[in-house]
Amino acid sequence: MAEQIILRTEKDMPYQPISLGSMEWNRTGTWRYLRPRFDNKISPCNESCPAGQDIEGAMVLIGQGKVLEAWDLFQEESPFPGVCGRVCYHPCESSCNRGEFDEAVSINALERFMADMAFKHGRRVTVKKEKKKEKVAVIGSGPAGMTCAYHLARMGYGVTVFEALPVLGGMLRVGIPEYRLPKKILEGEIDRILELGVTTEVNTRFGESLQQKDLKEYAAVFFALGNHVSKKLGVSGEDEDWAMSGVEFLRKVSLGKEVPLGKKMVIIGGGNTALDAARTALRLGAKPSILYRRTREEMPAFPAEIQEAEEEGIEISFLVSPVRLLVERGQKKLECVKNRLGPPDEDGRRRPVEVKGSNYFIEVDQVLTAIGEDADLATLPKKLGVQDSIIPTDERGATKLEGTFAGGDIIHQPHTVVHAIGSGKRAAIFIDCFLRKQKWEGVFDSIRLGERGNLSMRRYLTEEKERPPLSPKTVLLKDLNIDYFEHKKRKKTSRLPMGKRQGTFEEVNLGFPEETAVAEAQRCFNCGVCNLCDNCYIFCPDVAIRKENGNNVIDYDHCKGCGICVEECPRDAMVMEEEGR
Amino acid sequence: MKKIMVGNHAVSWGVMLSRAEVVSAYPITPQTSIVEELSVLCADGKLKANFIPVESEHSAMACVIGAAAAGVRTFTATSSQGLALMHEMLHWASGSRLPIVMANVNRALGAPFNIWGEQSDSLSQRDTGWIQIYCESNQEVLDTVIQAFKIAEKVLLPVMVVLDAFVLSHTAEPVDIPDAHIVDQFLPAFKPEFKLDPQNPRSFACFLTPDFFMEFRYKMQRAMLESEAVCKEVDGQFGEIFGRGYGLVEAYRCEGADVVLMTAGAVTSTARVAVDALREKGRKVGLLKLRLFRPFPKEDILEVIRKVEKVAVLDRNLSLGLGGMFAHELRAALCNEKVRPRIYNYITGLGGRDTTLQILNDVVYQTYEQPEPPEQSIWVGMRG
Amino acid sequence: MYEPRELMHSGHLACAGCGATIAMRYTLKALGEQTVIAIPACCWSIINGPFPYTSIKVPLIHTAFETGASTASGIKAGLDARGDKETTVAAWVGDGGTFDIGIQALSGAAERNDDIIYFCYDNEAYMNTGIQRSSATPFATWTTTTPSNHPKSQPKKNMMEIMAAHRIPYAATCSVAFPDDMMAKIVKAKSIRGTKFIHIYSPCPTGWKSPSSLAIKVARLAVHSKIFPLYEVENGDHYNINIAPKNVPVEEYFRLQGRFSHLNEEQIRGIQETVDREWERLLKKALE
Repeated sequence: MAEQIILRTEKDMPYQPISLGSMEWNRTGTWRYLRPRFDNKISPCNESCPAGQDIEGAMVLIGQGKVLEAWDLFQEESPFPGVCGRVCYHPCESSCNRGEFDEAVSINALERFMADMAFKHGRRVTVKKEKKKEKVAVIGSGPAGMTCAYHLARMGYGVTVFEALPVLGGMLRVGIPEYRLPKKILEGEIDRILELGVTTEVNTRFGESLQQKDLKEYAAVFFALGNHVSKKLGVSGEDEDWAMSGVEFLRKVSLGKEVPLGKKMVIIGGGNTALDAARTALRLGAKPSILYRRTREEMPAFPAEIQEAEEEGIEISFLVSPVRLLVERGQKKLECVKNRLGPPDEDGRRRPVEVKGSNYFIEVDQVLTAIGEDADLATLPKKLGVQDSIIPTDERGATKLEGTFAGGDIIHQPHTVVHAIGSGKRAAIFIDCFLRKQKWEGVFDSIRLGERGNLSMRRYLTEEKERPPLSPKTVLLKDLNIDYFEHKKRKKTSRLPMGKRQGTFEEVNLGFPEETAVAEAQRCFNCGVCNLCDNCYIFCPDVAIRKENGNNVIDYDHCKGCGICVEECPRDAMVMEEEGR
Repeated sequence: MKKIMVGNHAVSWGVMLSRAEVVSAYPITPQTSIVEELSVLCADGKLKANFIPVESEHSAMACVIGAAAAGVRTFTATSSQGLALMHEMLHWASGSRLPIVMANVNRALGAPFNIWGEQSDSLSQRDTGWIQIYCESNQEVLDTVIQAFKIAEKVLLPVMVVLDAFVLSHTAEPVDIPDAHIVDQFLPAFKPEFKLDPQNPRSFACFLTPDFFMEFRYKMQRAMLESEAVCKEVDGQFGEIFGRGYGLVEAYRCEGADVVLMTAGAVTSTARVAVDALREKGRKVGLLKLRLFRPFPKEDILEVIRKVEKVAVLDRNLSLGLGGMFAHELRAALCNEKVRPRIYNYITGLGGRDTTLQILNDVVYQTYEQPEPPEQSIWVGMRG
Repeated sequence: MYEPRELMHSGHLACAGCGATIAMRYTLKALGEQTVIAIPACCWSIINGPFPYTSIKVPLIHTAFETGASTASGIKAGLDARGDKETTVAAWVGDGGTFDIGIQALSGAAERNDDIIYFCYDNEAYMNTGIQRSSATPFATWTTTTPSNHPKSQPKKNMMEIMAAHRIPYAATCSVAFPDDMMAKIVKAKSIRGTKFIHIYSPCPTGWKSPSSLAIKVARLAVHSKIFPLYEVENGDHYNINIAPKNVPVEEYFRLQGRFSHLNEEQIRGIQETVDREWERLLKKALE
């Protein structure tokens, strides 16, 4: 910085009034009463992802063409991007700020794209920390169990996964059909977990071949049994042999077993299981139709699934409930009644109310029920305090039994794949705390992403002093400076044409190619995180933001605190604060 | 080489010989033919200068300030209203220490609107930091222009060369044109220490605070006072090389004089004739020609008039409420001298009224008649 | 094409959030080091810092208020006489020194087509002397000499039209909110011989009574509300609009500035009509 010039006498001065130096010595920073600061905040997609993914970070990388690096980033939080990229209900897209501006970024399709590229290039994962002597038991090889196993193995622990079924993957394997989640993808991602040294024992059911006492050699236990028991309709005839649960139907099909296939198949229910069962039956040659007791708006299945099912010719009848199953003169029948929507029930959806006298009969060959699933927790230790198919857990996922944790559909949380993954990761974090006898209460604040309780494994595995500062504030559209964003249409994935879907289990969603992916990722606003757009540097009237090693750095000696940088930051990655006294 | 030329053209030829590089001017009677002749000289290739035909005198001075700051030799010319219009910029030029040379053709300032000769215009700019030299003949005009560039570039103050309207500007006289090569030796190329130059970026004519202003004015004052010696030196050199020197003042037949007439400008020629006639008649009258007016050459003047009893200062100018400005300057310069003449002030020739021999005789006789100079100036040559 | 280094120092004396400094920063980047600037009395006379300091890395001369264009013409003639035909000579003048007291010198230089770039950075009042009205002050604006109960009753002088009427080779409007557009136009001006006029919209948070952080936002809204459209005029008759405005209502622009807080609905409607009409006129010229 230039020096002040001292001119003591007239003789020291030039004869002409000309300048002798620059004004840089003048520390105009003293004028300030507010000061700007770079302040990375939480993108709403990151906040809303139950798996705690750094979605914004991945968008930046894909947008730069660094797809595999984006995948590496995702591997820090979850081993299942290929799975989630196909079956997740993408709360990230619902919370995407771009959605309010024009259309949300196709995050889900981009996650799938990343995962497919990783397979194409043979990308692997590695163990992150030094090997530890403790072993952990994981009961259940669904998304919760395998994610917990994955993270524990990366942290250096020995892990054994016990699975009741003959195959690994839980509901991912036996509940989601091939045309939605190809086995090749699931098995590929599970293989990566096994490569970390995780051992497995299939055909081992807790309460039968595996007992509580067998787990004594393990320093900690994680229960993630999942919900595999179909709820009963509560109508007469539902135990007929031509009636079956949708869950059982799908499981048998996925295990390659024989399964009864009535031509006129009626599936009762409106969730993904009902849709999956119907579309699977269609592909096997049946003529399925769906009955749902409320309207399309209340149907819990993914809208894309509903749309594809209807495209494929599956009829869906709304506001219909089953009354009973019966056989009349050798013809199997289902008595139905029409509904209307009444006042809302506890979950906010309007309750269906029978319209008296609107009963009618449908001729059927088979009925599948898919109105929800429960867990079978009868064999679990009483000390866990199971109630209503739920194991009570605290914010760590820890149960009442010390050293025993639980996750997935058997704890109190939404029943989605991604929540299961999130709970598995969380349990791994707090099992680690437990085994290293660390205080766990303070851990949340340093690795939390926003207010919804989602955690960052990457931050957890980073040394405290190396963790970059992260404001707990989540950025909303009103916080952004949208003058810098142009409207751009969202890219859509392509679908298997109808002709190819008939009678085959080929994947229906075909994703999109690389240029489309890169362009779509570039639509991301990068809410709350600096992406070096340089607006702050460009608009500073005092040249008080400079480039140092490619980063923008504020020169507080000269910054006058005008606030233009913070105002013009398109993504709210800066903050103005009172100047400290 | 001798040529018959009017005073204005003598200015132009002086500028051409001095190889001015940028000329910018706005026409005003009686200055117009200076610039017209310069345009012809440029068109004929005799003068390689950039000529900017500006839209006012204020812009003319601003232009030459810009050009001078860029490090080239510059010239402009004007008169009365135009000079007054550029008043602000005269300060700016001297404060920036730029060696600009300007020819001012002395003309009355309106209102009332009058285009004839009088010296009030240049004299009312005497506080602006410009050196002022008053010329008696067209030859002197050409010579002084050349001298002016050398003086200006040495002391880094601008110089005003003053000549009378019509009597000099539009009257043809024989003028000896110096040889260009010799002028080049006398006046080499202008090489300023500081100039507007991207290789050496600075700000010029800076904004500055009370912390520094006085020192810059002090430097200017010192330069202005030192320029008296420089003017003498340059005139001396000029005299040696070209055979014509004029001095800062000229004493004509002042030996043993009772009364010395003090004049400046073309009226000095008439005064010489008047003095000769009066000496014939036995009057011991002398003439002091004031050539350098600013800085006021007090010592050179005192050398001539210290022991003289009476000095009659002829002022073809008026500072309202004060009187004649030459007389005023003389009185102020001599006020602390123990021995000094009594100073009589005569206002004459305003607005181009002819200063005749008759008037000059009248001035001398009145000076003889009055034992003490009256407090107010004496107006001669009035109607009725 | 643009100078990657900074040719303006930190430590200058501008108010926090000053638009004129952003304008200078990018003007210098577009002009490059081979430039000489004349600065008559205006905010930048003070912003540059007092003797013995300066804030920009090109030579500049301070000059009297009305002499921006004439000093620049003189500098150009001087450099040319010295044999330097490459250095760009610019005048950097406020709206007061351009629209009012300096208009004569500017018109003179334009008529002579002197080879200078004349920059007018317009903060719409005599800001340096304390926010007095100039002929660049828009209709109905508060200033210290047009108080709220008697705001400016005359419209803003259309300087671009005046310069177009001089048929100079190039005139353009620029805004500090669009630095790339501004730099491109200045580079274009640099390549043309003759008088070039660049009119830069420079928000003054101090004089406009708006928060310093909104300087760029206001500049952007001025363009998108069509109050200050970005366009070029070549040879006085070929018009080209550079940025298509997003038709933001003028009220949004007024709302950010305290100098307009006294406007009532009727006045705003009247102003919107005028703005729309002027825009149509400009559009017609651009489509010819």
